[in-house]
Parts: sequence; C-alpha cells; structure tokens
Amino acid sequence: MKKLIFDPELCTGCRACELACSFINEGVFSPSKARIRVVKFDRDGIDVPTGCEHCEDAPCMIACPVRAIYRDEETYAVILDPDLCIGCKRCMIACPFGAIGFDEDKKIFFKCDLCMGDPECIKWCFTQAVRYSTSLNVNTTKKIKMAKKEATAQIRARDLR
Amino acid sequence: MMEKLYGYAGQTLKVDLTKGKIIKEPLDRTLVRRFLGGRGLNGKLLFDLVGPDVDPLSPNNVLLMATGPINGLLGLTTGRIDITSLSPLTGIFGNSNAGTNFAPELKYAGYDNIMVFGRSKKPVYLLIEDEHVELRDASDLKGAGVFETTDVLKERHDDVKVAAVGRAAENGVLYGCIIFDYWDAAGRTGMGTVMASKNLKAIGVSGTGSIEVADPDRYYEVARDGWLALMNDFGFKTQEHSVLGTAVCVGWGNAQGWLPTRNFRESHFEEAEKISGEEFRDRFSVKDSPIPAGRACMSCPNRCKRYGIIRTGKYAGTRGNIEFESIAAFGSKCGVSDFDAVFHANMIANDYGMDAVSCGNMIATFMELREEGIIDDKFLDGLDLRFGNADAMVEAIHKIANREGKIGELGALGSYLATKAISEKAMYYTSNIKGMDSIACDPRAAKGFGFAFAVASRGSDHLRAHPVFEMIKLPPEIGQELFESPEAVDLRKYGGKPEMVAWHEELAAITDSIGSCRFMHASYYTQYPVPELIHKYLKLKGDVHSLKYHEWISAATGWDISYEELLRIGKRIITVERVINTRRGIRRKDDTLPERFFKDRIPKGPAKGEVYLRKTFNKMIERYYEIRGWDPETGLIKRETLKALELDDVLSVLEKEGLVV
Ligand code: SF4
Ligand code: SF4
Ligand code: SF4
Repeated sequence: MKKLIFDPELCTGCRACELACSFINEGVFSPSKARIRVVKFDRDGIDVPTGCEHCEDAPCMIACPVRAIYRDEETYAVILDPDLCIGCKRCMIACPFGAIGFDEDKKIFFKCDLCMGDPECIKWCFTQAVRYSTSLNVNTTKKIKMAKKEATAQIRARDLR
Repeated sequence: MMEKLYGYAGQTLKVDLTKGKIIKEPLDRTLVRRFLGGRGLNGKLLFDLVGPDVDPLSPNNVLLMATGPINGLLGLTTGRIDITSLSPLTGIFGNSNAGTNFAPELKYAGYDNIMVFGRSKKPVYLLIEDEHVELRDASDLKGAGVFETTDVLKERHDDVKVAAVGRAAENGVLYGCIIFDYWDAAGRTGMGTVMASKNLKAIGVSGTGSIEVADPDRYYEVARDGWLALMNDFGFKTQEHSVLGTAVCVGWGNAQGWLPTRNFRESHFEEAEKISGEEFRDRFSVKDSPIPAGRACMSCPNRCKRYGIIRTGKYAGTRGNIEFESIAAFGSKCGVSDFDAVFHANMIANDYGMDAVSCGNMIATFMELREEGIIDDKFLDGLDLRFGNADAMVEAIHKIANREGKIGELGALGSYLATKAISEKAMYYTSNIKGMDSIACDPRAAKGFGFAFAVASRGSDHLRAHPVFEMIKLPPEIGQELFESPEAVDLRKYGGKPEMVAWHEELAAITDSIGSCRFMHASYYTQYPVPELIHKYLKLKGDVHSLKYHEWISAATGWDISYEELLRIGKRIITVERVINTRRGIRRKDDTLPERFFKDRIPKGPAKGEVYLRKTFNKMIERYYEIRGWDPETGLIKRETLKALELDDVLSVLEKEGLVV
C-alpha cells in the first residue's frame, strides 16, 4: 500500500506541506493545525518532516477505548473519526511520532487521513521530500543509491588495476 | 466587533523599553490598506514617529519590525520580514529584510508588527508566546555571541524563533545586524546597532494561531498559478540558482564581468572558481546537492540558502549558511581565494552580528588604502592587510568587532565614515552611496544595477530594484514594450534603464511590504506581465502562468487591488522613503555614483574598458525624477506627486519645512 514517505535528506524546511495541510483540512493557514510537521534544527541545517506513518500495528488504534480510530479499507490510512472521539487523548500519548494533534479551537483531536488517497501536501513539496509511494519503493531506491556508491568504487578500483 | 482583517494577524505590539511597558493595539487598518505592511507600513510609521533631528542611536529612534499580509500563508515564498529605523551607518532611512521563520511565527502568535521605543536601563529580551508577552532580564547574555544567545533562548523557551544581536552591535559597530535563528540576517544599514542601543538583546517568539484569507477558493487558485509560474520559468527550470544558492552569482558575475575584485578596482576575479557555488557544494554542502535540497524560507520552492560545514584544516568546524554577497565581500573584494577563510569570515561575522557586506567592503577598502600608501602598519595594528591575505582579513574582522586599535575604531564606522575620518584622498577608495557600502556588482559593467544603486532609498544597494532583467537575455521586444527601449535587456547599455529600475523598485516595494521574496519577480520573472510577454514574443504554446501580486493580495485580504493600483502603492512607499531622506538632507547631488565609476575604466576582464558615462547618467537621473515626480534641480518631491499619491499629511509637514516644490 502507498504511504507518505518523509525524507529529511531532501527536505528544505519550507513548510509548504504544513500550510497545504492545514488549509485543505481546516481552511486556514496554521502549522499547529497541520497533520504534517517539519522539525527544524537551524544550527545544524537539518529539517525533518514528520507525520503519521499509518503504522501496520498502530498504537493509537489500540489505545483508543471507543474505536474512534480505524483503518480505511481503500487507502489503508489510519483514520480518526471526530464524531466517535471522546477527547481522552490516549491516542496522542500512544503515538510514538507525535502525529496526533489537538485543535484548541474545536476541542477535538485530529490526524492525517492521507486526504482520502489524494494527499495535498505532496503537491506543494517541490523536492519530493514528502511523497506518496509504497514502502517497497523506498527501500529499493535506498539500496540502489547505496549500491551505486559501492559500484563506483568497484569501477574505480578496476580501472586502477 | 470590528470587521475581520483577512490575511493579517490583526494586532500591533508596542514595546516601550524606557518604561518597561507592553501595549497591544489593533493593527491600523487604514494604514495597511494604503501601505500593505512590512516595508511600506514601517516607512510610514518611521515618518510619523521619528522627527528629522533624531539621532539614530538615541532612545528617540524607533525600531520597527513588520510582516505583511501574505507572511505565513501558502504561496510563492511567504517568509520574509522587514526591519526599519533610522540608520546609524548612513543617518538616513535604514531598512533591512530577512527570510526567516520568525516572520510567520510572529503572525501565528497574533501580531503583524512590533514597534520598539525608548531604551531599557539593563539588557533585556522580549519573549512572545501567543498572548503572553514579557520583557526578561538579559544581563547574563550581555556580550554573548548571536549563536550562544540563540541557543539559550531556544533552550529556555521550547524552540522559540529568535532574533538576536551580537557583540559587534553592542560595541557600537555601525553596521550591526539582527540575526534570526543563527543564519538569517537583516544585515544592512545597522538595524542591529539600533536594537543594541536600546539594550534589547533578543526577541523570542512562538505562536499557535491561524491566519484566514478572505476568499479561500480564489486564494488557492491564485497561489497555485503563481507556483506554476515559477515551475515554468526558464530560469528556474535550469535549477542553477536553487542548486547552488545565491553563490551561483560568483561564476555568473565573473563571466559577465561585474564581480567586484580588489575593492572595485577590477570586475573579474581570476581565482573566482575557487570561491564558486560549485566549490561550496562540492566541499562544504551537507545536504545532498545538487539534487535537490538546500534550505528555504517559508513556502519557497527555490531554497536558495546554502548550508555547509568545513570538516578539516585550520577552520574545521566552521558551519552555517552562506550567500553570494558575503562570498564576494570577503572573497573577491578582498582578493581572497581561500574559501575556508571566506566561509569562516562569514560565520564569525554572523556570530558577532555584523553585516558581512559592509564588513568585507571595509576591509577591502583598508587593503587598497594600504596599497596606496594612505594608511600605514601602525594604523593596521601590525596586520599585513594585503589583498589576498586571508589570515589578516579574518584577524581584521575580530579587531573591528571588538574595536581594537585604530583599525577597529574606524573600521566599525563603515567605509564612508572611516575614510572620511582618514582623509579626503582616502574617500576616493570607498565605494559607497549615501554612506552605505556597495554590494557586489560593478556599476560600470551593469548599467541598470549601477543606476539602481544611485537612487536606492537606503543608499548603495541592489535590492531596492534588483533589475536582473538586464542580465538574462530576454527578447529585446519585451524591453521595448515594458521600458520603452530594446536596450533595457542589455547589461552594458543605458537605454530604458531608468524606466526599468523604476518598475523593479515599485514591485520590490510591494514584495517587501507583503512579506514575499525579491527573487520571484526579479531573478525569476514570474510576475505579471512578464511571463505573458515572454509567451507572446517567443511564441510559446500552452497556458501562461504568472504570479499576480494584485490578485494574490486581493484574494488574501478581500480588497480589490488592480495591477495599476499595485504600482501606485509601490510609488507611494518609495515616495515616503524619499520624504524621510529629504528631511535628513538628501538632495539631487546625493543620487550619484562613487567618482571612481565615472573616472576609471575597468582595466581587464569581460567588461574591459567599461565606465559609467557621467553625461548619460545625469540624463538618466532626470528621466528617473520625471517618472517619480521629483524636481530635477533639487531632487525634492513635487506637491502634485504627493497629492496624486494621497499623501496629504506628508505634504503638510513638508510645506511647513519648506521641503517641497
Ligand atoms: S514541503 Fe517538502 S521540502 Fe518543504 S518542508 Fe515539507 S517536506 Fe520539507
Ligand atoms: S496527506 Fe493530507 S492530511 Fe495527511 S499530512 Fe498530507 S495534507 Fe495533511
Ligand atoms: S528564494 Fe531564497 S530567500 Fe527567497 S524565499 Fe526562497 S529561500 Fe528565501
């Protein structure tokens, strides 16, 4: 199944994803209402996009006492139903990624729903630091990237021989 | 209940440091309707609040920080903030801009702008956490570097965004800057020195609020079209600027023959490739350049900030963001090709909190004065400050920031006041206009840029106009249609340049007032009507996308602003800045270039033989004044101009002072 991939190596820290997310979901521009969040380490020049990983064995789903969190069959997204939510914050504490937020204005919890399979955030991420793809793609790409370095070394060594 | 002000946060924060008082007020909506925000708003406030006799470093000067209506929204770059005050460096209108997450954060906290009055008895910092705003003791941070100050505030207050001043500003270096989150400088005209003079060490802000726009659907469409305009811009498509950052200009400027070398003696640096963007990428870059990384201001696909680290050697551990201007200031202008030293110089200037451009120019000037035999070793405190001596250059920075010896004492004043204190002859070797040190572009080789320096409201500066238009080989027909001359697209020609500079200035005034970035309308040419014209003259197929500031602002705020009104607001902003300068004594004679550029021909390189023709320059000034509605004799503003721009309150002040024609 496809999921959002967060790649700090490509992230520029522009936060367009945060704004796109808060806008599409809440109609306002507000990083504190975004489902995706970029943590910035300015001194070190590093930016790390974070968000819901739609875990296979989702702790939030397990923690929810009223089954307000469920998996969507079609998109495989882990979804929080605000109508069922009783506002107990167990999911928020259980989530290891801090991916569940609380809306101070509406007094409800919220999380990424993958925009029902059409993620808005990725449309504004120019460098594809956040992208919508299958996990398998990610590890293949990484393998190829690392192997390329090894291969280059091999070729170089062969040339020298 | 007042009607909601869309696009804005809606509140102004007034901080009186003398009394230790903080006041929150609703944002002045008539003022922002006329001046938008940012630079426009600040300029008008400076006019209203600070009289013509105020000393920039006295408590009566006011430090103004303002965001604009698109800061913190999704769109083609929304993360730049404007700082305005009287400049201690030039004595006139002072102004600087930075791309920083501080800007949107301030709005999320609920404030569009901060006005700082008076002077605190002891060092303080201002802490803003949504509605909680307070002044805190900063005695323990006195004399601390920018990095340490930023670390401490972030540690204490849960990752707040920080604006800090460093030791240079505290020591009275006249070009101290305000540095945001370690690397992003509001660098020019000494805004940090003003902040330090108020005993305000830093500002920390965090905010959790939201910003609403008037018409969300239209907003989305307009923002998306602006975005697509950039994606389709042929300059952006090359990805050179994105991949190398502004450092791309080292190679570019050198090839076009405008890279100031050895204090503007030459305009071509034979060792430029050693300090190029490519070199930075290959040696220092941390992120996976060339594809794609870099770091960006809010909502910006261009990501021009370059972060790097020196891993080995004498300067190992040096890190941070670097920009073209600092590379040129400490590199080619000083004749230094040791990139480690240049990068290190940039970092320590950041930590001391002083403007790399003024600092580098100052050192380069000293180098030339030494070579000309105008200053001696005693003046230089034993430093062997030759062109090309990297170690001496780095040493000079320390001396200036700490004001050690004669070199430190005078070096802190910037190249204009320093050379003035040395001798009449020395003044020939400073490249400054209205007291401000010139940036890295040789006016002789780039006639539009040069002209822009001469008329810029904050003194020698490219960013008031940034007319890259003449550098990128656009079809001449566009020059003709927009600026009345096909020569407008030609770097070395004069035709259409006053018109070109005026248009760029007006748009830049808007950019700085809404909180967006210069590069989107003048580097890339995404702003209406340029993409439309490119489409027409290159006979391109498909849809045209363009960034339309007027529609963008309209969709965000709900006001109905046309393209024509947009340019009029730009004119209004520029006029108010001129008024401030007029009241501080600026006249036609001050709108000029340093003598050197009229007299000495460029000795070698691609622009060999180029000089700025004085006669032509004078004609251009006349044309420019005509466009601006200023008097060609004196440079004063005409009554009718102020009336047409609905600046009647300004006019009545000028009438009283006899400063209007
Ligand atoms: S839009 Fe992409 S590059 Fe920008 S902050 Fe988000 S993940 Fe990073
Ligand atoms: S997929 Fe949608 S809800 Fe999830 S982070 Fe992206 S924009 Fe937000
Ligand atoms: S182009 Fe550079 S300065 Fe401008 S907004 Fe983007 S990252 Fe910031």
